Amino acid sequence: MLFEIALRIYSKTLSNPFVFPVMSIPGDELFAYSANRELESAAKVRALESLLIKKGVISSSTVDTVLHYFDRTMGPFNGARLVAKAWCDPDFKNLLLTDCNAACQAIEMPTGMSGAEGEIMKVAENTPDVHNLIICTLCSCYPWPTLGLPPYWYKDPTFRARAAREPRAVLEEFGLSIDPDVEIRAWDSSGQIRWWVLPERPAGSEGMDEAQLASLVTAEAMMGVAKVVL
Amino acid sequence: MKLQHSLGGLQGLGPVDFQKNVFVHEWEKRIFAIHTAMMALSSHLSASLPNYPIDSVPTSFKDIWTWADLRRGAESMQPFEYFKFRYYEKWLGGITGFFLEKGYITKEELEADMAVYLREGNVHPAALPNHEQPAIDEQVLRYLVEGDSGRRPRSKAQRFTVGDMVTIDDPDCNEHTRLPGYLRNKKGFIDVVYPDSYAYFPGPSDRLQTPQISYSIKFKAADIWGEQMSEPGCFIYADIFECYLK
Repeated sequence: MLFEIALRIYSKTLSNPFVFPVMSIPGDELFAYSANRELESAAKVRALESLLIKKGVISSSTVDTVLHYFDRTMGPFNGARLVAKAWCDPDFKNLLLTDCNAACQAIEMPTGMSGAEGEIMKVAENTPDVHNLIICTLCSCYPWPTLGLPPYWYKDPTFRARAAREPRAVLEEFGLSIDPDVEIRAWDSSGQIRWWVLPERPAGSEGMDEAQLASLVTAEAMMGVAKVVL
Repeated sequence: MKLQHSLGGLQGLGPVDFQKNVFVHEWEKRIFAIHTAMMALSSHLSASLPNYPIDSVPTSFKDIWTWADLRRGAESMQPFEYFKFRYYEKWLGGITGFFLEKGYITKEELEADMAVYLREGNVHPAALPNHEQPAIDEQVLRYLVEGDSGRRPRSKAQRFTVGDMVTIDDPDCNEHTRLPGYLRNKKGFIDVVYPDSYAYFPGPSDRLQTPQISYSIKFKAADIWGEQMSEPGCFIYADIFECYLK
């Protein structure tokens, strides 16, 4: 019995040299993390903020001011309102697709829709024949005023790498199966434009008003990794 | 070739981690906000379109800090280190390094304060110092609301028009580029010529020192990856500055 276990471990070691940590493998030390990784980062950012306040770079309330802005003023609720309005008003939809920033100005949206990371936004429309997906292979470009701040998966190197080559496979992993006849367009943002997606209005939503429709629209739908459902 | 410039199309990575949170640890929020405040207080904003009165903002921050600086830091990393660290860990490293290098803070000060917060386990950390300066926060909010658009008038004629087939150039790779690596030497079609020109941020980059005409370029996936190694019916649209076109 003991021999069998020993043999199994031995053969596993042969087929996979990473079963046991062997520090002589070049590069191993690069992927060693401190056991206190998160505690140390938390202490470092706290120390940095504290020193920047002491030195007069920022005020005691600057960090919270920024965070409140994204909690309360700029988030996917803005994009959802624009989408719902576009579904109900063809003229507004035309304006949104032609000039997203002008569309934001045309209705009562918070001031700042053309602010940081929304200076120039454009919208790609999903139709029965075309499905759009936004990506940023170089970093994490994202339309802050309409969608808020990007989720971790959007910033993750695996998504950024794979969505460019195999968007259908990636969307399947997100639970979204796109018919082979539907064209997929991936918008890689590395220039001046911050792209987002106008999703399709779900069937069965005919009787709903704008506020009800807006409550259905998710950030994922406006990134092109989900559909809007009732 | 820099691996972090050429992420697009990398194979053999396994499934995507569908982490929907923007921040996975509380501390990440604060480095995000510090970076955003630095962009809002950056000295280059005196030449921005909103014409921010940046010289009169009562901050001791007197340097340029933009997306370009953050990206330059990440792109300059040893490529394996780049993949070792989580998104905001890279930000924390780059931003802390900047403040140390520029002399705003010293290593000794940072280590001493870190020791205090580590001792407290960050659960109920000591209060932050008190420094009320509403004019700093006003500028930060104004930057968030008014932004920093690079849109500038055209100073030269466009080289291409809609429908033209273009080949992406393959410039020397240095510490900062806005050209996705997987598009180098690939052929695409001009789909849109954007109006005006677009200035990028100050500082070293491969070719972005002057405002650039920008194009939306449509690439057939098979023209990038080959028929066998791409999915059918897929297109990539990329906004590419004219300096990156052959």
